[in-house]
Amino acid sequence: MLCEKCGKNVATTHIKTSINGVVESHHLCADCARLSHAVQNQFGLSDLLGTFFGEGVKTVPYADKRKRCPGCGSCFDDIVASGRVGCGQCYETFLEQLLPSLQRMHGKAVHAGKRPRAEEAAPTRESELEALKEQLRAAVNAEQFEEAAALRDRIHAMEEEGKDHE
Amino acid sequence: MNKWYASLGKEADTVVSTRIRLARNLAGIPFPSRMTAEQRRQVNEQVRDALFADTTLGKQFKYLEMETLPDITAEAMVERHLISPAFAARREGKALLLSEDESVSIMLCEEDHIRIQVMEAGLAPEEAYRTANAIDDALSARLTYAFDERLGYLTECPTNLGTGLRASLMLHLPALEASGGINRLAATVSKIGMTVRGTYGEGTKPVAALYQVSNQVTLGISEEAAIENLRAIAAQAIQQERALRSSLDPDGIEDAAYRALGTLKFARAVTSQEFMELISQVRLGVAMGVIKDLPLATVEELMISAGPASIQAAEGKPLDPAERDKARAKLARERL
Repeated sequence: MLCEKCGKNVATTHIKTSINGVVESHHLCADCARLSHAVQNQFGLSDLLGTFFGEGVKTVPYADKRKRCPGCGSCFDDIVASGRVGCGQCYETFLEQLLPSLQRMHGKAVHAGKRPRAEEAAPTRESELEALKEQLRAAVNAEQFEEAAALRDRIHAMEEEGKDHE
Repeated sequence: MNKWYASLGKEADTVVSTRIRLARNLAGIPFPSRMTAEQRRQVNEQVRDALFADTTLGKQFKYLEMETLPDITAEAMVERHLISPAFAARREGKALLLSEDESVSIMLCEEDHIRIQVMEAGLAPEEAYRTANAIDDALSARLTYAFDERLGYLTECPTNLGTGLRASLMLHLPALEASGGINRLAATVSKIGMTVRGTYGEGTKPVAALYQVSNQVTLGISEEAAIENLRAIAAQAIQQERALRSSLDPDGIEDAAYRALGTLKFARAVTSQEFMELISQVRLGVAMGVIKDLPLATVEELMISAGPASIQAAEGKPLDPAERDKARAKLARERL
C-alpha cells in the first residue's frame, strides 16, 4: 500500500482514530507520519505510559481485569487509559501489574531515598529481605545473571543468619 | 524584599538557576485527577494549616486560592517559573503557598496534592534541596503522606515514584547550541537517567539558548545520588560551553553583544521572541566580560520580567500585542 499523503512511498504507519464515534483509518509513509499532527498527538506522556502499562495487561488473568481499587474505585484499565494512578492504594491493589512498567521506567523498583518522619525507623530484616528478593526478580527479568547470582547469595546468607537467631 | 532572581548565583556565566521539586500526596485521599471539589478544599486547607503551624516557616508564606487570581497574574507566575502552565490554565480548586522572595512555591492539587518547589540563582542544588527538605519535614510532622516501603512516596504519575524529586538546572548554552553540541549533551545525559528539555519544560522549544537539564529516574536512587548526577552533568556542560566560548572570535562576540545591547537600549517596540534573542546575546557578552558596565543580575531580572503576561501584570492592565511590544521596549530602555 502506498502512502495516502504523498502517494510515493510505501505506507508503514497505520493510524486509526476514533473521535466522537467516528472511526477513521490513515496509512502513511514514515516521512509523512513524522510530519503528521495526528502522530505527534498520539505520543503524549499519558499514551507512552499507557503503552508501558499496556504490556503488563497481557499477563493479567481475566478475573483480575475486573478488580477495582478499594480506595478510589479505579480498575487497571482506567490507569492504562489515563496513564495516571487513581490513589495511593492503587499501587498496592495493582502492584503485580504495575511492576514491569515501573522497572522499565526506573530500572530498579525499590525505593532508596528519604522516608517520612513517622516511618523513619530503620528497615527491618524482613523488609530488607523482601527488597533484595525484588531486586533478584528484576535482575533475572533483565537477564543480568551475574548480579542475580550475587543477590541470591546475599539472600541465602541473610536467611541462614535469620535461622541462627531463631 | 528582593526576589530570588535579583541576586547572582554560582557559575552564573552558564547556570541561570537551579530548581528542586518534591512531589507528595496525603494518605487516604485520591490523587487530584480523581478528587472531588470538597476533597480539594480539604487538602488545600490541611496543607496550609500544617505549614502555618510551623512558627518559623509559616511566617514566610502567603496562601493564594488560584481561582481568585486574574489570568494575567497567573500567566506571569508561569513566566517566572513559579507554577506550571497546567496549574495556571485550570485554577479551580487549586491553591498556592508562596514565599515572600518567590524562591519557594508550593502548588496544591496540581498533579499531586503537594508540589514543593525551590528556586535558587546559579548552581545550587544542595542548598535548594536543603530548603525543600526542611519544608517537607515540617509538613510531614503534621500530615500523613502516602508512602510505601518499596515504592517510596506515591505519586499520581508513576514517573515520580520513589523520591518524588525533580532536580533541574536552567543552563545558558549559546556556544554549545551554535556548535551543534546539544544532541551530544542530550545523549550523555540520557545514559545516567537524566534529560535535556526546552526552556519551559517538557515538550517546549529552547528559547535564547536556555536548556533545562533534570533527572528522569526517581525510584531506586537516593536524593543525594540524583543531585550528584546533576552536578556531574552540569560540570561537563559548563566546561564544554566555556571551552567553546573561548574559542569564538572575541571581536565577533563583542560586536554581536553590543549590537544587541544597542537595539535593546534604543528600540521602541520589541517582540517577545526578538527580545529573548537579543538578551541572550547580551547575556553572553556580559558573562564573557565583553560588556563591562552591566551587572549580570540586571540581565537576569530583565529576562524574567519581559514575558507577555509579566509585561501586562507590571502595567496593571491587558495590552494588545503591539502595546506589549512597546511596553517591553520601554522596560528594556529603563533597565539598561
